[in-house]
Amino acid sequence: MFGKNAFKTKKLIFLSIVFLAGCSSAEDEVSIRSEDVDFTVKNPPAVSLSHQSAGENPVNAIKRESINPEKISIPAIGVEAVVQHLGIAKDGTMAVPDNIEEVSWFEPGYRPGQNGRAVIAGHVDGMDGPAVFWDLSQLRQGDRIIVEGGGEKLAFQVRAMESVQLEIADISAIFGYTSSPELVLITCSGTYNHSLGTREERLLVYASYIDE
Amino acid sequence: MKKVFASLAFAFALGFTTVSGVYAADAGKVRVVHASPDAPAVDVYVNGELALENVAFKANSGYLDVPAGTHDVEVFANGSEYAEGEGVLQADLAVEAGKAYTVAAANTVDALEFVVAEDSMEVSEGKAKVRVGHLSPDAPAVDVGLVGGDALFSGAEFPGITDYAELDAGTYDLEIRLPDGTQVLPLGGTELAAGTVYSIFAVNSADELEVLALVDYESAGSPNGMPTTGLGTPDPLQNSWLLVMGGLILVVGASGFVWKKRVQN
Repeated sequence: MFGKNAFKTKKLIFLSIVFLAGCSSAEDEVSIRSEDVDFTVKNPPAVSLSHQSAGENPVNAIKRESINPEKISIPAIGVEAVVQHLGIAKDGTMAVPDNIEEVSWFEPGYRPGQNGRAVIAGHVDGMDGPAVFWDLSQLRQGDRIIVEGGGEKLAFQVRAMESVQLEIADISAIFGYTSSPELVLITCSGTYNHSLGTREERLLVYASYIDE
Repeated sequence: MKKVFASLAFAFALGFTTVSGVYAADAGKVRVVHASPDAPAVDVYVNGELALENVAFKANSGYLDVPAGTHDVEVFANGSEYAEGEGVLQADLAVEAGKAYTVAAANTVDALEFVVAEDSMEVSEGKAKVRVGHLSPDAPAVDVGLVGGDALFSGAEFPGITDYAELDAGTYDLEIRLPDGTQVLPLGGTELAAGTVYSIFAVNSADELEVLALVDYESAGSPNGMPTTGLGTPDPLQNSWLLVMGGLILVVGASGFVWKKRVQN
C-alpha cells in the first residue's frame, strides 16, 4: 500500500516536471525556430558582359541605379514594412527602430541596387510577442524580397541563410563590398543571454538582385 | 551525362565561396577577365575543379571569395575535358587574405598569358581612383589623359596594368592617345564617382581598340557591431521560480492525495 502511493507521488512529480519543462522551452520560441536554419545555394557566379550602347562612354555604362529604400515586402512571410534610415547607435552597433513594426536600413552602408551588401534589420520579437522579422527564419531559397524607394522597385531573391554567433560574425563581410547588388536581412536568433542583454546569435538572410 | 558531371563539379568547386563572414577573414577575392581578342570562350578550373564556365571575350566573373593560399588556376577552351596540366593557360595564383586580384587572360590565342594585378579596396573620402590596363596585344604604348591636357598615365604598354591614380570625383574628358598626341580612343564625359575605384582596360586588336571598364570597389560605412534586434527578454529567473512553485504545488497536491487516502484507510 505504502509502496503504491509512493509510486503515485513519484509519477505525479515526474509528470509535473515534464509539463513545466515543456512550458519553459515554449517560452523561447525564437531560439528553437533559429536552430538548423542554415542553407546556401551554390549559384554559378554571374559572368557578366558589359552592355553598352554604341557611342556610350564605357565607364559611365557600368554605373548602377540604386535607391534609398522606403518600403520592404516579403510576400512569402507576409511582411510589409516601412524602412527607416538609421546609422550607428551610441554603442557603435547598427541602429534599429524603437518599434516592432518597422525595419531599418543601414544608411551609411550600400544602397539597394548598388554593388555591395545593403543591410536591413528588424526585430524578431517585442515585449509581448512577435515583431516584424518573427518569420524571417521561415524563408526559403528563391523567395522574393521587394524593396521600394523613389518610385522604383527592386527585386531580390533569397540565396542563403545562416544563424551566426555574435562573437564570430564578420561585420566587414556582412556589410561589405560585392561585385553585384545584394541585400542582407538581419534579426536576432539563438538563446537569450541575460548578461549580454541580447540573443547570442544573429539570423542573416542573403539575397541577390534580380534584374527584371 | 557530361553535363551532369560538370554541374556537380561546379557546385563542389564553389564550396569555397563562402556566403558568410565566418570564414571571410581568411579569404581573398579573385576576378577573372577574358581579354584575348581571338580566343574562344573558356572554362576556368581552380585546383582541378570547374569554377567558371563559358567565359567569353570581354566578360568578367566579378569577385569570387577564395581561401588564402596558392591555387592552381587552369584555363581550357569552353567544353573541353579537364586534364591536369593540359590547359591552354596555367598559373599558381597566390591569394592573400583580405586582398583582391584581377586575373586577365591576355594576348592572342597562340601566345595566351595571364596578367595579374592586385586591386585596391580603399579610396579616400570624396575621391575616385583609376588605373588603366593595356591589354591590346598589337597596340603601341599609349598615354591616357585629359583632352588637350596632361596625361594621367604615360607610356602604358602591353601587357601591363598601371598603379592607381587618385583624382577628385567629377566628370573628365579623357582620351587614349599616342605619346605624340594622336588620339586613339575618345572617353569624353567620363564620370568618376566619389568613393569608387575603377579599372579601365584597353582591349581587342589595335584596329578595333575598345575599352572594358570595371568597378574594383565602392566605399561605404560599416558599424562596429551587429544590431540588437529583439525587444523581448525571456526571463529565466521567473521561469525557474514558476517551475519550482508549480512543482511544489503538484507535489503538495499529490502528497495531500496520498495523505488523504491513508487517513481513509
